[in-house]
Amino acid sequence: MITDLALLRLLQLVSPGLPIGMYSYSQGLECAVDEAWVSSATDAGEWIEGVLENCVVRVDLPVLARIYDAWVQNDRTAAENWSATLLALRETSELRTEDRQTGQALASLLSAMDMDEARYWQRNANTTLALMFAFAAVRWSIPRPAALEGFLWSWLENQVLAAVKLVPLGQVAGQRLLHELAAKIPGLVAQGLQLNDDEIGGSVFALALSSSRHEMQYSRLFRS
Amino acid sequence: MYAEPGAGAACADSGVQPGWAAELTLGFARRAAKTVLAHRRQRGPLAVQRPFYPEGAMCHVYLLHPPGGVVAGDRLAIGVTVAADAEALITTPGAGKFYRSTGARACQSVVLKIEENAVLEWLPQEAIIYQGARLTSKVTLELAGTARFIGWDIVVLGRPAAGEGFSSGETLLDWRILRDGKPLFLEKMRLDAKAFAARWGLQGHSCCGTLLACPATAEHLDAVRHLIADAAGQGVTLIDDLLICRCIGDNAEQIKQVFQNFRAAIRLRIVRREDYAPRIWAT
Repeated sequence: MITDLALLRLLQLVSPGLPIGMYSYSQGLECAVDEAWVSSATDAGEWIEGVLENCVVRVDLPVLARIYDAWVQNDRTAAENWSATLLALRETSELRTEDRQTGQALASLLSAMDMDEARYWQRNANTTLALMFAFAAVRWSIPRPAALEGFLWSWLENQVLAAVKLVPLGQVAGQRLLHELAAKIPGLVAQGLQLNDDEIGGSVFALALSSSRHEMQYSRLFRS
Repeated sequence: MYAEPGAGAACADSGVQPGWAAELTLGFARRAAKTVLAHRRQRGPLAVQRPFYPEGAMCHVYLLHPPGGVVAGDRLAIGVTVAADAEALITTPGAGKFYRSTGARACQSVVLKIEENAVLEWLPQEAIIYQGARLTSKVTLELAGTARFIGWDIVVLGRPAAGEGFSSGETLLDWRILRDGKPLFLEKMRLDAKAFAARWGLQGHSCCGTLLACPATAEHLDAVRHLIADAAGQGVTLIDDLLICRCIGDNAEQIKQVFQNFRAAIRLRIVRREDYAPRIWAT
């Protein structure tokens, strides 16, 4: 059972209002729209679902679960090694930079609240968002399943918000998309947790290509 | 001495099954003025032709993939070690072919080890994955700190010239690049009917390729970006000092040409040699 306070801490952690700059990253979606690979609500739904199922669930989710377990054991080395592996699984420079910057921003934020130990990760090159998200989740006693679902939810909401700005989509169309895709999260968490260490990894070709091309896109709103 | 790359290990999980178990282990070493193929062991239908030297000290080798192609249950293991200061280039005389399978998965494992200040160019021609083929391909690249590498992987799904799509079959492409034992880049891509057609996948294009090069700098990144210019379906990124170029297209010739142009632009700085295209590519 999730306690009332743990639930509230999770809501704070997954809020788009969390000041770690998530709103400035589209993870290749901006370029996909620019290339006309995504130009409607249906396209956006297919793109986001494809990346969620084939990449996030096969990469971020199993690594996050392992980092969570490492923090529970207070095993800083294991947590950092998994975080470094996560960076190695990112396909482009922009996607790595995003993960480092949001992770380091979360480390600063946590150390400014009640987690002084997070300060160590503020400038560490192996810091990722998953590393600090799991750190906060463990310290705030957010149970593992809720932390994993919350992480996917927050990724999903960020992508949908980016699609609303970029495609663009109406606010209601965006919420409908979020509602529809969120329903898949519990099943996807279960799927991602079945992967053994050797099976972790999921590259999505058009994502890698759009993120590479975003790095040289002439006019951009987003940093990834 | 050459550490024997354990290339066979990655295929071990495929269990007992019919098909070839072919193995090829190559060790290149620097001897005075040139690089020699100092060690060679082969088992089954994987072989190399006699090394030759079209550009001086660098040792060129043609790898003969099973000539008839790879069928269900085949397990191929290739291990290459390039010892300190040696320089080798490996390519193939033609496309690799992976045929339809109703049951067992074919497995190809490549382990490339490049020691200090050594050079390897790994430039196989395209792999054609026939409709219905099931393949796991793993490439492990172990780089010493000052190793130099250019390599590519070009995949064709189905036979586009024969109007064949890719509505069944599955390929897992796995790249693990380690430097001094630490993961530098890990890629695991699944290509199946869904990924072939999807807008997040190959968008119905039958070919895709990845070119990797290191140690690279922002200068190489700019050189490749300049070549890409406004062309669609091509991208490049620089992760630490690893340059990764990606390309999508409708035939292998087109992607090979794009990658040859990229390689021509970066080879001098990475491999410290002028551009040179193996003659066999032109035949």
